[in-house]
Amino acid sequence: MRLENVFVILKREYLQRIRNKGFWIATLAIPLFVATMTTLPSLLLLKSHTHQTIVVVDATGRGVGEALKAQVEKAKTAAAAKPAEPAPRRKAPGEGGESRLADFAIETQAPAADPQAQRRQLDSRVRGGKIDAWVWIGQGALADEAVEYHARNTTNLFTQDALRGDLTEVVRRMRLQQAGLDPARMEELTKRVELNPVQVPGTGTSGGGLAGMIFAIVLFLLLYMSILIWGQQVMTGVLEEKGTRVIEVLISAITPFELMMGKLLGICLVGMTQLGIWLGTLVVLTAPGLVATLAFLPPGLKLPALTFGILANLVLLFILGFFAYATLYAAIGASFNNLQEAQQVASVAVVFIVAPVMVINPIINDPNSTMAVTMSLIPLFTPLVMPLRIAIEMPPAWQLALAYVLTLSFVAGMIWICARIYRVGILMYGKKPTLKEIWKWTRYA
Amino acid sequence: MEPILEVRDVRKSYGDFVAVGGVSMSVPPGSIFGLLGPNGAGKTSTIRMIMNITAPDTGEIRVFGHPRTGDDLRRIGYLPEERGLYRKMTVMDQLLFLGEIRGLKRAQLVPEVERWLERVELTSWAKKKVEELSKGMQQKVQLIGTVLHKPDLLILDEPFSGLDPINQELFRELLQDYRSQGKSVVLSTHGMELAERMCDHICLISNGRAVLDGELREIKRRAGGNSFRLLAEGDLERLKTMPEVEQATVQNGEVKLMLRPDADGADALRQMVGFLKVREFRSEEPELEQIFMKAVRDAA
Repeated sequence: MRLENVFVILKREYLQRIRNKGFWIATLAIPLFVATMTTLPSLLLLKSHTHQTIVVVDATGRGVGEALKAQVEKAKTAAAAKPAEPAPRRKAPGEGGESRLADFAIETQAPAADPQAQRRQLDSRVRGGKIDAWVWIGQGALADEAVEYHARNTTNLFTQDALRGDLTEVVRRMRLQQAGLDPARMEELTKRVELNPVQVPGTGTSGGGLAGMIFAIVLFLLLYMSILIWGQQVMTGVLEEKGTRVIEVLISAITPFELMMGKLLGICLVGMTQLGIWLGTLVVLTAPGLVATLAFLPPGLKLPALTFGILANLVLLFILGFFAYATLYAAIGASFNNLQEAQQVASVAVVFIVAPVMVINPIINDPNSTMAVTMSLIPLFTPLVMPLRIAIEMPPAWQLALAYVLTLSFVAGMIWICARIYRVGILMYGKKPTLKEIWKWTRYA
Repeated sequence: MEPILEVRDVRKSYGDFVAVGGVSMSVPPGSIFGLLGPNGAGKTSTIRMIMNITAPDTGEIRVFGHPRTGDDLRRIGYLPEERGLYRKMTVMDQLLFLGEIRGLKRAQLVPEVERWLERVELTSWAKKKVEELSKGMQQKVQLIGTVLHKPDLLILDEPFSGLDPINQELFRELLQDYRSQGKSVVLSTHGMELAERMCDHICLISNGRAVLDGELREIKRRAGGNSFRLLAEGDLERLKTMPEVEQATVQNGEVKLMLRPDADGADALRQMVGFLKVREFRSEEPELEQIFMKAVRDAA
């Protein structure tokens, strides 16, 4: 093998792809898309604070309407007192009024002698735009009768949620009083217990439960996409050379093995460039200072930092994963005459890439289970399963070492077999070969 | 002189289909060698075996005086039948790449490529992608890619397809330049008239077999003894029924006549005067087309 020949091919593969506008659009658009999709909904919700004027008809005769009005006012002032807290998380009733998505101006009415006329009159006020909604608190509301909410728009779930929270709070107090209990005392006694996860120092890499999980999934998806995208690129690249007969010219100058290695290394470098940009973005985004200002994470949730150890492992696993699959794609591309034929067989390779997706949850939940450890040691799965484990908790060194040795041997074997298929396949035209024929190619001298 | 390329009784079958059923040819140095034959005769199959793209079932291929090895291929410039270029690459990048895979350095390549582009009038297209070029322009780019590394032998499969007469002439000049440096060119074509203008040696292939092989002048001389051109009026079709006539092609009142080797021209003329008004009758070199048809008939 002449290295300078490999390098010429590598250079072409790399430069042609890096110079492509599509590459940069995809590379920059994906982080942008992910960032937008994670922050925009929160931002929008934050900005979409609604204000409703509501008429409350209280038929209980127990002052529920007035109590609701007071509760709503209390919530409003509580929210105004804490404007700096942007977390848009919906609060459970009674958890405090900060960052409510809706507030209300309430006008109470006693039930009229003719309830039907009163309802009609309220409906017309809604239609006329004088009020946004009216609420009918029936006689049995303190028992278990539902409260009616009449409005033009009944899909405003967040607004209804806020109102329901206030109503529940009011009615619950009254029920407690009715039962002869002190509501304030009850609240004190029934307070939720908080669970505060603290990681034992030196055991893992992630910073917190939910954030650690998101982090692991993001890393997994990045590797998954890169391997899938660039593996396929190898296949289409080979098919192009075959289809345009460039291959015949190349083979008169260099050996098929040099061509295959140059192509694999070149496209691998392109994938690493892209992955590097993505991981770089992640490093910046997860930098402690930035997270505080940018990410609208609930308090107490902190993103884990991307350490050098994690990054190094990710890059190594990407290279191994890329070669494990890309060699297969090169052989498939070489064996067939067009994309349609090749894609049918390539979908078999995709199965192995997709399989780890199905075990994401159990692995994240217990990264040291027998299943997780076993899967992370199977060469075809290592490049995707291991990053999951690493993101949650750095596996024992012997497992990492064993995984690398196994995958490396597997990749070496793949290169050997696929190079043989490739060598014969690239110059075969015409009839679609059977798998048996392709297998026979590996044994040609 | 030792031949630059020698093909010895090469055969290739695909299943029951015999693509090449015994072709031998010998390309001397400093020649333009035409591999001729109709579509499907086995020209491309033969070339692909010379280039080691497929292996012959039997037979031997020798280049530069010894059995062909992998390294010999680097001394050959090969132009495959149509395409053979990356569609998305610019003309310049493409040519630099084709030079680089032959081990040439970029610094020497750039001026060389520029000189060639100038010569084939493609300078203003250097930065365009190959897919934006016409078929003829692509063919010119491809030819440059074939000769950049100054190979000792050029093998061109149908180099004239898609070329207009002006560019055909340009190609002819380039190939003759090449020959004058003592190097050889093998080209395949199904255009007899084209081959007649371009080549000095030919090998005629029909149904996977070589039916005629040698120096064009010599072939013509051998076949030429009994060819005549006739200008006459009357029942020209009747010529074909004469026992002395092997072949008669009528075109614009002019007849190309090929008599049987043993027939006498003067004798035939005497008979023709009986039913035609002959204005002119003279001995002539036969056209390749006629020789080819006769060779195919004789072989059958």
